[in-house]
Amino acid sequence: MKAALRLILAAAAVALIGVGGAQAADAKPKIALVTKSLANEFHQTLLNGAVADQKARSGEYDLIANGIKNEGDTAGQIQLVEQMIVNKVDALVLAPADSKALIPVVKKAIDAGILVINIDNSLDADTLKSKGIHLPFVGPDNRKGARLVGDYLAGKLTKGDKVAIIEGIPTAFNAQQRTQGFKDAMAAAGMTIVSLQSGQWEIDKANTIASSLLTEYPDLKAILCGNDSMAIGAVAAVKSAGRTGQVLVVGFDNLAAVQPMLNDGRLLASVEQHGSKLGVFGIDVALKALKDKVPQNKIDALIETPVDLALKK
Amino acid sequence: MDAAPSSFPSSSPSPQPAAPRPGRSALTRYAGLLAALVAMCVLFGALSEHFLTAASFRTIANQIPALAVMAVGMTFVLIIGGIDLSVGSVLAFSGAVMSVAIVQWDLGLAAGIGLALVTGMVCGAFTGTISVSLRIPSFIVSLGMLEMARGGAYTATGSRTEYIGGNVSLITDPWVAGISPAFLLALIIVMMGHVLLNRTVFGRHLIGIGTNEEAMRLAGIDTHPPKILVFMLMGLLSAVGALFQVARMEAADPNAGVGMELSVIAAVVIGGTSLMGGRGSVLASFFGVLIIAVLESGLAQIGASEPTKRIITGIVIILAVVLDMYRSRAASRSS
Repeated sequence: MKAALRLILAAAAVALIGVGGAQAADAKPKIALVTKSLANEFHQTLLNGAVADQKARSGEYDLIANGIKNEGDTAGQIQLVEQMIVNKVDALVLAPADSKALIPVVKKAIDAGILVINIDNSLDADTLKSKGIHLPFVGPDNRKGARLVGDYLAGKLTKGDKVAIIEGIPTAFNAQQRTQGFKDAMAAAGMTIVSLQSGQWEIDKANTIASSLLTEYPDLKAILCGNDSMAIGAVAAVKSAGRTGQVLVVGFDNLAAVQPMLNDGRLLASVEQHGSKLGVFGIDVALKALKDKVPQNKIDALIETPVDLALKK
Repeated sequence: MDAAPSSFPSSSPSPQPAAPRPGRSALTRYAGLLAALVAMCVLFGALSEHFLTAASFRTIANQIPALAVMAVGMTFVLIIGGIDLSVGSVLAFSGAVMSVAIVQWDLGLAAGIGLALVTGMVCGAFTGTISVSLRIPSFIVSLGMLEMARGGAYTATGSRTEYIGGNVSLITDPWVAGISPAFLLALIIVMMGHVLLNRTVFGRHLIGIGTNEEAMRLAGIDTHPPKILVFMLMGLLSAVGALFQVARMEAADPNAGVGMELSVIAAVVIGGTSLMGGRGSVLASFFGVLIIAVLESGLAQIGASEPTKRIITGIVIILAVVLDMYRSRAASRSS
């Protein structure tokens, strides 16, 4: 008896919330944010930034924010997007876990009348074109950011110096872009890249590789890392090899954890891509398009967000 | 030691005239592993300019402590016929707790280390108790713990890499002749593990449990407490691994140790410990750790590409197990 009563009450409560939600939806747009892995500090920051923004401007829009379990959980992300379609959101802001696998479900969302904005990691341009999808991309230029920090590093080296690159997961688009940016900068300054290996975005894997590189190249002058976690691993390797100051390390993302290293010079520089605002940038583009009734295919294809060099404060 | 002989070898009904001489078979086992290790060093030495240098071996020595102590724990777990897939996550969780205790709660280094060790042990106790008392395969329970501890690591750190700094790196800073206290500590733990397994009643009971648990029970031995203890030990050693790793990086990464369970299991299996339980050696596992570490380091030093690294690592694991299988078959034929 009691259980049945509780069930009825719960059902009533759900119904009430449902009605309330529907009423609110008439007044303000409902935006879904689907990001990558919340295990990743960058995406957690991105999501937190969006949630905080919605709290501050709760009169303007509603937000459903979701992330996936780990970087490789592409299937989970597709499922999340499908749930958002069922949820009848007005716009979807998506940081895709995979540059190709998400395209069919994105098409499904657009066909269902949802405005889709791509942030952070851009979907594959050729596949999008072949499916006839126009998808605006809002995000930083990773290659430009890597070039920025690479150029700064080159300024501290002399032409012909030996450097090594530790990149992220080689199949990830942003990892490729960052590596390309590093290479651009090193080539422009005439440095010799003696090794390019993957540290899988992780601290201990990067540490193993950096340690081996330091042994193999006694005259190595710098290590360029695709993110700050790997930079922390490289900094530790440089320290245990007793070559702090002789081998410069740069990273990417400007994590809170690397601030002490930036300040005492163990880490020369990193790249700030304003992760906490990235989701909000995407949401703003969506809100503006919804307000002005601009259709999907009339929004600018590329809206670049700022990348800045992060140095000692 | 006096309780053991009466309780387990004689409980097996098959008339075995004399126990196999462990000394000789152990010697051939170590000789085989050592030969493999030397062969790898020679190969990398030929391929790379600076592999055969003191600096190179110092680097390897200072990198293996975490893997080495966790391999000790895993040897015990495999010997009782269990498996623990949660070790990488438990490492991350313990490290996360340590960093939060030091940085956010301001408890100091000693308390941080203490809390980390307790965290690891509690995780292990949880896995062990559920799996042993409810008779659920440890594969499943530790898979659950893998998820829970990883979630715990993310929660504790807020999914952020936490910088610790300060004096935490003393544990892993080069000390005498470029060797860190962590490496010496790891060696001591390996030796203690070896003695625990071979020279104590507890250790012999574990081998008995792995060989024939029913026989042990019939001999009047309660097999649950030692099995749970083994999982607690595994958790504790994962936390020790966390301590080494956090100290070396001066930071706790909530993504630390992803996939580490596979490296640990690979090292132990390369050392010849059986996944079926009942057979294993802590020292041989240490050789397995050295083989994995030399391989990783050597491949990085010659600048092998990511796919090449994975393919070669896979081949080495399979090759080692195949060779070990032939060795143990030959040994059983000759006895």
